[in-house]
Amino acid sequence: MLRFWLTFSALTTALVIATLLGFLLQASWPLLQSQGLSFVTEPEWYPYEALYGLLPVLVGSFWSIVLALLLAVPTGLAAAILCAELLPGRGRAVLRFSMELMAGIPSVVYGLLGLWLLLPLLESQFDLLTGRSLLAAGLLLALMILPTIMVFSETAIRAVVAEQRQTAMLLGLDWPTRLLRVLLPQAWPGIRIAILLALGRAMGETVAVMLVVGSLDRLPQPLYNLLQPAQTLTSRIGREMAEAAVGSVHWAALIASGLTLALVAMALSLLIQRWR
Amino acid sequence: MLNKFIIVGLALPALLLPGACLAYILFKGLPALSWSFLFSATEGTGFGATSGILAQLLGSLLLALAAILLATPFALGTALYYRLYASKRQQGLLAGLLNMLQSIPPIVFGLFGLIVFVHLLQWGVSLLSGAVILAMVIMPMLVLNSIASLERVPEQYTEAAQSLGLHHSAVIGRVWLVQAWPGILTGQLLGIARALSETAPILFTATVFSGVVWPESIFSPVTTLQTHIFYLAQEGSNQQVIQVAWGSAVVLLGVVAGFALLARCLSNRYEKTQRLGVE
Repeated sequence: MLRFWLTFSALTTALVIATLLGFLLQASWPLLQSQGLSFVTEPEWYPYEALYGLLPVLVGSFWSIVLALLLAVPTGLAAAILCAELLPGRGRAVLRFSMELMAGIPSVVYGLLGLWLLLPLLESQFDLLTGRSLLAAGLLLALMILPTIMVFSETAIRAVVAEQRQTAMLLGLDWPTRLLRVLLPQAWPGIRIAILLALGRAMGETVAVMLVVGSLDRLPQPLYNLLQPAQTLTSRIGREMAEAAVGSVHWAALIASGLTLALVAMALSLLIQRWR
Repeated sequence: MLNKFIIVGLALPALLLPGACLAYILFKGLPALSWSFLFSATEGTGFGATSGILAQLLGSLLLALAAILLATPFALGTALYYRLYASKRQQGLLAGLLNMLQSIPPIVFGLFGLIVFVHLLQWGVSLLSGAVILAMVIMPMLVLNSIASLERVPEQYTEAAQSLGLHHSAVIGRVWLVQAWPGILTGQLLGIARALSETAPILFTATVFSGVVWPESIFSPVTTLQTHIFYLAQEGSNQQVIQVAWGSAVVLLGVVAGFALLARCLSNRYEKTQRLGVE
């Protein structure tokens, strides 16, 4: 009896993943049947004319994630170095606690901050009609993934063994050299996992991005224009899911977007586990 | 020397932003709080501008508690299987699957729930649909945490219990759970905090904007703080509504922080007894 229950619970994990992928695939079948896999590279999304292309949201997701990582990785890594190497015990505890606090703020509250603090700031700074843009999404995501990068990198840096540090110090190397040639290379496997975890978090974040990205289904003009309203993979699903009729091609296209998201996230997770 | 200044300079946003964010939220939200705001559930006029948030608070808590109740038996079962029966290979496989499940974005669970629970099983937009979805979202972290807690039980205890000829169920009930419960409970509390913070998966599977104070059955929709903030935030024309949104944000943050702090206290105490045990 006990054994049966434990075995059954252990199987639920596999069962959930399998049914999830199965049902998403089945629900996105109408789209795959009519368009095949080409919907991934179509540049137009216009449900009223049965145009379902994922390219605009893929570009949107790409820019918001890249921007978030470009901002959060240097800052988070610097904070991790500060925390692990330079601060005394008490300062370290305070910094770690403040990062945990930041990680604990619900994403919808970040959305509220983005909408009523960040957007007005952007509007006045860049003289924009609306601050809703990929830039706003990237900035907000950077804020949200900063704790992930900082906490995991700090753990990785602290895990570098004392022998390595002492040897470097005995050789008379100065602090910058020790940092760049000993600590960071040694901690790199942990740091790259921190970055990938943050990437996954940024990719899947929905409500906060939805509130600030502007939800405009068009490729940025030109492609690197971050100051225009745009759309990401998650924000489109969130915006349109309630409107789509069950079983329609529009519905199938949204489910297919979700399936794409899930598959990329799972591939990322496999990569993380291989590197661990 | 210059290098250290560069590091501090780069880290400056990380040093300042957490405090700044929190201060801004409190600055905006605290003025909205009042006795009637927290403890009345009357339907106000003007898109939630004047009503209290009792219904939303109850809905959030109800959904999170239902999710943890649904997830716990499976999470604990999986962790015990991992410790008790799984071979090295199975352990690796199980850990891999759990990490994979954890990596799937919450919105995807929302889509899955919408297809299966809301439409296929005809549960509708309901408490039950939302609770099952949230249970799936928090399940991996519960399992991984329980496994870690069980692994901290000293090996001698298990060996001693087994050499006494105790049955598996006695080893679990009389040794492992007695030793590991604070760690497991810490995980449950963090799971509740996590379930309270999720918005995307319940947005179109469990919640409505208004009209519910206490759900009539598990097949009725609820209103939650998370979705309340989400809807109110987009009502840009009415300053009073935004005020309510900030107030709700402070309350949500307070509840989440409450559960997280409880977990922290528990784990601090637990770690201390662990250390004493070693001496």
